[in-house]
Amino acid sequence: MDLNLNRADYLQVGVTSQKTMKLLPASRCRATQKVVVGDHDGVIMCFGMKKGEAVTVFKTLPGQKIARLELGGVLNTPQEKIFIAAGSEIRGFTKRGKQFLSFETNLTESIKAMHISGSDLFLSASYIYNHYCDCKDQHYYLSGDKINDVICLPVERVLRDVPVLACQDRVLRVLQGSDVMYEIEVPGPPTVLALHNGNGGDSGEDLLFGTSDGKLGLIQITASRPLHKWEIRNEKKRGGILCVDSFDIVGDGVKDLLVGRDDGMVEVYSFDNTNEPVLRFDQTLSESVTSIQGGCVGKDGYDEIVVSTYSGWVTGLTTEPIHKESGPGEELKINQEMQNKISSLRSELEHLQYKVLQEREKYQQSSHSSKAKSAVPSFSVNDKFTLNKDDASYSLILEVQTAIDNVLIQSDVPIDLLDVDKNSAVVSFSNCDSESNDNFLLATYRCQANTTRLELKIRSIEGQYGTLQAYVTPRIQPKTCQVRQYLIKPLSLHQRTHSIDHDRPMNTLTLTGQFSFAELHSWVVFCLPEVPEKPPAGECVTFYFQNTFLDTQLESTYRKGEGVFKSDNISTISILKDVLSKEATKRKINLNISYEINEVSVKHTLKLIHPKLEYQLLLAKKVQLIDALKELQVHEGNTDFLIPEYRCILEEADHLQEEYKKQPAHLERLYGMITDLFIDKFKFKGTNVKTKVPLLLEILDSYDQNALIAFFDAA
Amino acid sequence: MLLPVFTLKLRHKISPRMVAVGRYDGTHPCLAAATQAGKVFIHNPHTRSQHFGASRVFQSPLESDVSLLNINQAVSCLTAGVLNPELGYDALLVGTQTNLLAYDVYNNSDLFYREATDGANAIVLGTLGDISSPLAIIGGNCALQGFDHEGNDLFWTVTGDNVHSLALCDFDGDGKKELLVGSEDFDIRVFKEDEIVAEMTETEIITSLCPMYGSRFGYALSNGTVGVYDKTARYWRIKSKNHAMSIHAFDLNSDGVCELITGWSNGKVDARSDRTGEVIFKDNFSSAIAGVVEGDYRMDGHVQLICCSVDGEIRGYLPGTAEMRGNFMDTSVEQDLVRELSQKKQNLLLELRNYEENAKAELSSPVNEVDGHRGIIPANTKLHTALSVNLGSEVQAAHAELDISTSNDTIIRAVLIFAEGIFLGESHVVHPSIHNLSSSIRIPITPPKDVPVDLHLKTFVGYRSSTQFHVFELTRQLPRFSMYALTNPDPAREPLSYVNFIIAERAQRVVIWLNQNFLLPEDTNIQNAPFQVCFTSLRNGGQLYIKIKLSGEITVNTDDIDLAGDIIQSMAAFFAIEDLQVEADFPVYFEELRKVLVKVDEYHSVHQKLSADMADNSNVIRSLLVRAEDARLMRDMKTMKNRYMELYDLNKDLLNGYKIRCNNHTELLGSLKAVNQAIQRAGRLRVGKPKNQVITACRDAIRSNNINTLFRIMRVGTASS
Repeated sequence: MDLNLNRADYLQVGVTSQKTMKLLPASRCRATQKVVVGDHDGVIMCFGMKKGEAVTVFKTLPGQKIARLELGGVLNTPQEKIFIAAGSEIRGFTKRGKQFLSFETNLTESIKAMHISGSDLFLSASYIYNHYCDCKDQHYYLSGDKINDVICLPVERVLRDVPVLACQDRVLRVLQGSDVMYEIEVPGPPTVLALHNGNGGDSGEDLLFGTSDGKLGLIQITASRPLHKWEIRNEKKRGGILCVDSFDIVGDGVKDLLVGRDDGMVEVYSFDNTNEPVLRFDQTLSESVTSIQGGCVGKDGYDEIVVSTYSGWVTGLTTEPIHKESGPGEELKINQEMQNKISSLRSELEHLQYKVLQEREKYQQSSHSSKAKSAVPSFSVNDKFTLNKDDASYSLILEVQTAIDNVLIQSDVPIDLLDVDKNSAVVSFSNCDSESNDNFLLATYRCQANTTRLELKIRSIEGQYGTLQAYVTPRIQPKTCQVRQYLIKPLSLHQRTHSIDHDRPMNTLTLTGQFSFAELHSWVVFCLPEVPEKPPAGECVTFYFQNTFLDTQLESTYRKGEGVFKSDNISTISILKDVLSKEATKRKINLNISYEINEVSVKHTLKLIHPKLEYQLLLAKKVQLIDALKELQVHEGNTDFLIPEYRCILEEADHLQEEYKKQPAHLERLYGMITDLFIDKFKFKGTNVKTKVPLLLEILDSYDQNALIAFFDAA
Repeated sequence: MLLPVFTLKLRHKISPRMVAVGRYDGTHPCLAAATQAGKVFIHNPHTRSQHFGASRVFQSPLESDVSLLNINQAVSCLTAGVLNPELGYDALLVGTQTNLLAYDVYNNSDLFYREATDGANAIVLGTLGDISSPLAIIGGNCALQGFDHEGNDLFWTVTGDNVHSLALCDFDGDGKKELLVGSEDFDIRVFKEDEIVAEMTETEIITSLCPMYGSRFGYALSNGTVGVYDKTARYWRIKSKNHAMSIHAFDLNSDGVCELITGWSNGKVDARSDRTGEVIFKDNFSSAIAGVVEGDYRMDGHVQLICCSVDGEIRGYLPGTAEMRGNFMDTSVEQDLVRELSQKKQNLLLELRNYEENAKAELSSPVNEVDGHRGIIPANTKLHTALSVNLGSEVQAAHAELDISTSNDTIIRAVLIFAEGIFLGESHVVHPSIHNLSSSIRIPITPPKDVPVDLHLKTFVGYRSSTQFHVFELTRQLPRFSMYALTNPDPAREPLSYVNFIIAERAQRVVIWLNQNFLLPEDTNIQNAPFQVCFTSLRNGGQLYIKIKLSGEITVNTDDIDLAGDIIQSMAAFFAIEDLQVEADFPVYFEELRKVLVKVDEYHSVHQKLSADMADNSNVIRSLLVRAEDARLMRDMKTMKNRYMELYDLNKDLLNGYKIRCNNHTELLGSLKAVNQAIQRAGRLRVGKPKNQVITACRDAIRSNNINTLFRIMRVGTASS
């Protein structure tokens, strides 16, 4: 069965955070439901749809930014009490909008995630988790990395409190009281948790998670250990997951999985006989989908998916067809409704325009007085700067509540800006003047009208570190721009990983000296991505990293006064050594650096590179041949006379070309890393081999693994 | 939502911009397109495999309804249409870098095959002005040539630079077609037969032109811009990061007005309203679009829009019916309108809130650094801009300079300049390092061409620690001759070359013109006529003198003939002069031109000699081959071997000969371009009728190979002394 959903926009509120829109349970079967949504202005808006018009049930006054909105109530009754988290406060409202609870948690950080179950309240701020029962503190946990979401398995089914924390370090922490029961490793930083089927599945222990790199998975949290059920990899390279819900939109009696992503993608997965998810429907909205829920809002009898987006749009994807099959009179009525809506909007706009004109004039006048001040309008920028594992490049996503006019990208390190298909903005690279202005990249993106989201791809070089700045200018008056800074770290292509292969030949860098644990931790934060800013608890800590481009690894273990870094890649060690000694000198700390180089590791790294290099060389060669072979094919009419290898190339031509296009400059990058490896190997020996680099490049041009290894040994 | 009525996938690649639909047998429309390896394919789905006996055409081995035409040279342009009205069917025209072939597909014969020394980058077929028979007009290196169905050269003229696009359009509404020419020097020129009636300067190479209706036409640039002109006024334009591969006018929504259909390099096809540029329809292909054409491909009496991708995918769309009211997008118009209005409302609310917050901020204490962090600056902050000429220093070449400063202690974080044609991309950014921030910034600007440019400035103003900045937006115009600095006259360096003309204007008006077009220092005080001013070019240090006598006689001394032309054209536009005869002398340039003309002759003779050699050699080859084969039949292996050795050597000679021919040809092309440009430049020194007279006379002089007359025309403007 085909799933056809039509988009219907209901209303726009202010900017919304993740999971801040819910549908109130219907009062009777198949009636329309009310939508409740909280925004960054602190306004909670509850509305229902009547004849295509949004009718407000209640609306609160502005206040602190609302971070989460959940529904709750006495267990086993309709969950229709509204709870919001704003700052460090939890407030409760009835479905009529009457406030019945205001609970100041006194947390030092503002609340990021919340889960409600009966009278139990599970809260998490950046690093802190708290469990309250009837507003009394019960349990407490301090996480090693940022907590993105919190959930508790349905207590009425598993008969115990099992809170689960989604932590930025790619781990789900299952708690028992104030202690971790066990940790579950997931393939990416988890951003959202949800109960499978809304109730935890058959066992009540099934938990869904979504990651910021777009993966989805289902895990059964049993009392003793986790059971991984399934996982959807992000093959199509779609955005990170912000919200999930279970709802039977297909209408086959099985609840489907609704997913909202940060690139505006809404997906519906249904389950086949083996309980594996199958993609049934997808549609893109132009901006992040912050909340998603299935229900019935627009017209009774028609199920729909209700989503809220970053800029505050509440939109329904409804099964109700746009064009009714009923008589022409009906059609007219729908049009009339639309017309009414438009004319009322227009008159509202006129009124506003008049008001704005007045204010504008006042503002202009104030610019003549010498005492007056002019503030910049504040607008919120939703940004995400992440490393993609697949092609070892960073993607920078900027999203603004109104249309973006232009974005200036400035960098003080050499980086490459790559073209992104999705992005329609006109890019223009500017000359970086020779003066000492620290500019390595200056580029402007002039956006097309109505662009609220801009995606950029950036390729960095390990060892070159600095800051990338984005100046975002939206199309609002008075014109203003906001600058955002992103750090390009020295080991920018490394990613946190759960475990490493201990059998590899390792080079070791050891630091000793008079420094504290926190100091050394700050250096590690400076060098490597995905390390929590706060020093972790405990005296000694170990992090594992993987180079996303070469698959080499790094292990860092440090405590007060000593740090040990182990990597099979000599270049990684060399970069660490340079950066750490520079940092220590800057802070006037006496540092003893000793290193132990394992000659075998170089050969090992070359062997790691070998298949990648060979693949790329072969690919380049094949792609070069495609055009000539195609011409032959046209000329001769068939390909029977060609050797099988060439025939194979012809058959796979499209695929090869696509593959080739996907990885621009891949070969150059590999060459660059081999060159670095060569230079670094001899740098540790104290010899400068820069003069021999041309020779190395010559060898690479006619690549042969043994010749390369021999060259490394001989030089 | 409009869906394709047919989709085909041909297994032949299609070269961009080289697609045409023609009824080669008078009834059945066929698609012809250039493909790889110097071939043209003709897709004929209507009549089953005719067998072609001749060498030029053969059946495609890949597809039964496709026949291939061997051109043996890279095809550079292609079109189809009625060339000979008596024939009653269409001819296929194929241009290469050296030749133009008019081909009769039905009879499988050449209509004509002409050498085109200037190459054929673009082709258009149709009637031009008063010339009665249809012409195939090709545009090459600075030259335009029109052939009738017998291959007679009925039209020839020159233009400013290499031609990239051509179109026929009734530009002035007189019922006759004018020729639109888009060339490499970013100009769109309109030729009423061989007279230029209008010139529009764009910002990049014009890659495509297409007539819409009446005097309206669409254009596409190599930087991804497409737009619509009505006469000399631009209606709208949009810029994309992709490139427009092909544009075509087609009435897709059946409202009686053609839309501009654009095929993009990323595989997108969109239809835009001719009035507003608003997208009314779009579709996506998996690869770049090669061409957009129209034709009744299904032979059902309805013309379809046909889009072809470079991979050989072809889709045909029928125009939407009137009931669809142009509603091709998948969401309803009303929904979009509501969304747009709602967005507007949000923006206004945001703006209102900004003013409210502003009012709040005003109540608090005076500006301090903390405020600066949040981006609060004194309300009376003003931005001053000034343009001046900087003569440069040892480390920096001379340049025009834009000086921006704020009126108080706020700093300028960055300056974005959006301007067309003077920077590498469309913008230039100045972003001083955090240590060098100050309240003023000097930006060097070196426009490569003498054109007036609007600089759209966006200046980020705030404090050192700000994370939010105010954006001051303003527009300054860079005058046309900003790269010339006023200097003291130095009679010793006065250029020998000059142009001389008389205008009936008061000297004050000339001073106003100077002020508008040059960056003069503020204290410049020019007294009444007669006076003279002297400028130095910042690009090459060349001198420019402008002298004005009481009688209104103006003499411009410069060695740069282009600059002289620019000055005359600029003055003519400013004073609204319609016709201006000019006396000119550029001894150095003319001497160079004389040398070029001599060289052209040389190249021509070398070319002839080489062609003769080649013919000789091919005769020898023939005989050698026969003799070698004879020897083989006689089993005289030794002789055979020797013959083949000789053949091998000869082959090598031929290859060398070919290389020489190639070089000779490129040199010849270069020289011909220089000659064509010289004629164009001589024309630009005049205005109106004298301009056309000069171009026509120069051309006649070149045809009759009369060099002395040519120079006389260039000097005094007429052939008769």
